[in-house]
Amino acid sequence: MESRVSKGKGDIELAGVAKSYDERTYAVDGINLKIPDGAYCCLLGPSGCGKSTILRMIAGHEDPTVGEILIGGEDVVGLDPVARRTAMMFQSYALFPHLSVRDNVAFSLRVKGMSKAERDRRTEEMMEKVQILEFADRIPSQLSGGQQQRVALARAAITEPRVLLLDEPLSALDEHLRLKMRAELSRMQRALGITFIHVTHTQLEAIALADMVVVMDKGVIRQAGSAREIYAAPKDRYVAEFIGGQNVISGRVRGLGASGARLEGSAFPSVDIPIHAGRRLEDGQSIDIAIRRDEINLLRPGQAGLPGGTTGVEGAIVGVEYQGNFVKVLMNAAGEDEFVAYVPERRFFEDDFHVGDRVFAAWQVEHAHLLV
Amino acid sequence: MKLSRNAIGWLNTIPLLAVLIPFFVVPILVVLMASFMQTDGFGGMFMDFTLSNYAGIFTSSLTYSLYYETIKFAVLTLIFSSVIGFWVAYFLVFHVRNPLIAMGLFLVCTVPFWTSNIIRMISWIPLLGKEGLINRALLELGLINHPLEFLLYSSFAVVVAYVHQLTIFMIVPIFNSMARIDKRIIEAALDAGASRLDIMRLIILPMSKSGIALGAIFVVSIVMGDFFVVKVMSGGGSASVVGAFYEDVGVLQYPNAAASAVVLTVLVMLMVALILRIVNIRREIAR
Amino acid sequence: MTNAPSVQTVNPARPRKRRSSGDRPWTFYVLASLFALYVLALYGPMISIYILSFQDVRGGLVFPMRGFSFYWFNELVMQTRAGDVAGAFKRSICLAALVTVITVVFSFMAGMAFRRRFRGDTIVFYMMIGSLVAPGLVLGIGIGLGFQMLGIPTNWYTSALGAQLSWTLPFGILVMFAVMSRLNGNWEEAARDLGATPAQTTRLVVLPILAPGLVAVALFGFTLSYDEFARTLQTAGSQNTLPLEIWSMTLNVTSPVLYALGTVSTIVSFVIIGISLGMIVLLQRRIAARKSGNQ
Repeated sequence: MESRVSKGKGDIELAGVAKSYDERTYAVDGINLKIPDGAYCCLLGPSGCGKSTILRMIAGHEDPTVGEILIGGEDVVGLDPVARRTAMMFQSYALFPHLSVRDNVAFSLRVKGMSKAERDRRTEEMMEKVQILEFADRIPSQLSGGQQQRVALARAAITEPRVLLLDEPLSALDEHLRLKMRAELSRMQRALGITFIHVTHTQLEAIALADMVVVMDKGVIRQAGSAREIYAAPKDRYVAEFIGGQNVISGRVRGLGASGARLEGSAFPSVDIPIHAGRRLEDGQSIDIAIRRDEINLLRPGQAGLPGGTTGVEGAIVGVEYQGNFVKVLMNAAGEDEFVAYVPERRFFEDDFHVGDRVFAAWQVEHAHLLV
Repeated sequence: MKLSRNAIGWLNTIPLLAVLIPFFVVPILVVLMASFMQTDGFGGMFMDFTLSNYAGIFTSSLTYSLYYETIKFAVLTLIFSSVIGFWVAYFLVFHVRNPLIAMGLFLVCTVPFWTSNIIRMISWIPLLGKEGLINRALLELGLINHPLEFLLYSSFAVVVAYVHQLTIFMIVPIFNSMARIDKRIIEAALDAGASRLDIMRLIILPMSKSGIALGAIFVVSIVMGDFFVVKVMSGGGSASVVGAFYEDVGVLQYPNAAASAVVLTVLVMLMVALILRIVNIRREIAR
Repeated sequence: MTNAPSVQTVNPARPRKRRSSGDRPWTFYVLASLFALYVLALYGPMISIYILSFQDVRGGLVFPMRGFSFYWFNELVMQTRAGDVAGAFKRSICLAALVTVITVVFSFMAGMAFRRRFRGDTIVFYMMIGSLVAPGLVLGIGIGLGFQMLGIPTNWYTSALGAQLSWTLPFGILVMFAVMSRLNGNWEEAARDLGATPAQTTRLVVLPILAPGLVAVALFGFTLSYDEFARTLQTAGSQNTLPLEIWSMTLNVTSPVLYALGTVSTIVSFVIIGISLGMIVLLQRRIAARKSGNQ
């Protein structure tokens, strides 16, 4: 069934791409990025970080001020969207309000001048594929958010693009639908077998969907890699904090040895840190480390015997949030930000802590991750 | 080929300019030019730069009384039409709860706009006249012994006719700007403890001011440029700037008329510019 | 159990006074009365002349109604005392139709231009406002003088057409501004993304979406032209339009013929509105048919 859809090259390369609207400040500032063919790539960042601009430049709705955009190895700057064989799914979908679902989906075939019979056949096929046949004759305002999304997807996919660009596709949906449509996007991407580039500001969305996550900030890429890499091994404080799930603490390196060192902070006495291969540290150097919130063990202070290879900080509990499968415990320890531990539910209630209790947050030294 | 944004903008405004330049800019320039010319008294003009036409206008006490009359009518009409227009729009937007009924009532207000102004004006004659319905009714009720004379062919009648014609120009833009006020803002203000007076003063009034300004531009420019209503409804009792100007044209005193026209046009433009300074209409409409 | 308080809030027995639908603030009644008075003042006079136009030969300009007949309408048609009313009617309708078409097309184009800033847009905008507010008679005289200088005779379909456009176009563009604020740029971008040319985007996306607004502009254009007086007075040339005809009648005629003319011209206006609204309904039907048909 998918044989008609292009398996052609949908690999994308951005080389030194920058975009400025006022010739003084850059919305996108020197981006180099390679996205392999058939990948599901998420551009992740807060609003105004330039991710939508990148998407629009790949789509051909905006031209870069400098730099090259290559799709399938050829520079596409200056080409029309159709010539690029990209298709865009707009934020809040931009479905034509005066056309039925059928006519919305058939739009690109109609402007291409395809015969009505052929057009109808292909439209029917596409609508069947994304399961919108049953409301083919409604107009967009009569559809739910999820249905609208499918129509937008069908309208974009019928152009047989090699790249599908999705601008915050899930932001118009409510929480429940968002999870459902998220799974559907993933399924569609596998079915179509083309490159998806998905812009979002929700880290959970990016991590759940993407083969490749690109974290952006103020027009530059902070880190690009697989979802696991980004989550487990963030490169710097910004990525760690934006992705979440990490406690970031900062301090100065002391007592540099062969297998480890200590980190001394202003808000905590000192913790042990591992030394990664290929990472050179100097005595007195100021660095950040990240510790995953789910790898923290809460102990009562003074409790006998800290297990070997563990380190930690002490603080008072300032909040406890029940999350169902785990409990989120907030502490004031180790600095200005809250220090958080995700404690498995069962273990938390074996010895439950209360707000105001002093605790010792412990973790395995080698679980700490050194940031830039 | 891709056209630049400026080129597209200008290409699309060419038709507009093709109308505005020959039928607005050039005529105004022609009038301006004529105002510095001299006349032979028989409709002929010759080019001999003179300020005597203007001198004549500014030294004549008649000019000042004409402007006084005209501005008086403009201000009175503005006051009545904006007050009525504001409250009618407010009633429709905030008091009528069913939006369909509000729309229906709004249409009821706008329907007369599609009928002839002149007909609407003369339609006051059977009501306001000496033997008109109002005088009859008052006589029947014994409230008066003699018919009220001031009802028709008076300043009163002029203002009535203007307000009757022009309130719609207030209602539509005010309704439009009020309809865009998010009702949740008002609920939020109520939650914050605002009284209904506070809401009117701090929310509704500021947010409808673009509508009021747009309506005021229509009302001021129409009243200032009119001579017809004054002529018919005042029964000759009042004159207007444009009326005097029309008389001048009638007796072929073009340069004199032109000078007076220039003064009037400048005055109207100044009034409108003042309103535009207060409210950025373009931004507000396109909001 | 946690839901209990929210159930309480809908309990009518709560001590706090809640406003039910029958309990409106006092301002409602004041404003409703004001509204009723306004509507009465708006329609009362007009209805009274419509009634008075149906008097018989003894009829006068004021109540009471004397007899009932179509005498004054007949009189109007016979043109015995009313001048070239039929010709004026025809000219006014032709002129208004012309003005309407031009206003719709030009306002649409200018409206599209003004969606984005372009160099010099402020000048064009203020020129437009100037044209809107300039005293009509002054403009009319200027146009008349200009034509005279160039040696071109003034005529209803040349000078008067231009004079009216100088007023209907700015009006139409202001309406377009309001209409276009609802036109989302994403739709055009989506069309482009799907391969539509600019012409196709305009024809298949922009125009259908703006259609109701364009009908409104047309309605404005027609009415403003059909009723235009000040700008037309000095530019219509030798043949009168309807408002000019009515104007000369108000100065000379003091019989219910005037009222008959009012009744007829109102009927024409209503026919025009009827046709326009019919067109809107038809347009929407077509969309509705498209969405329910095709099965």
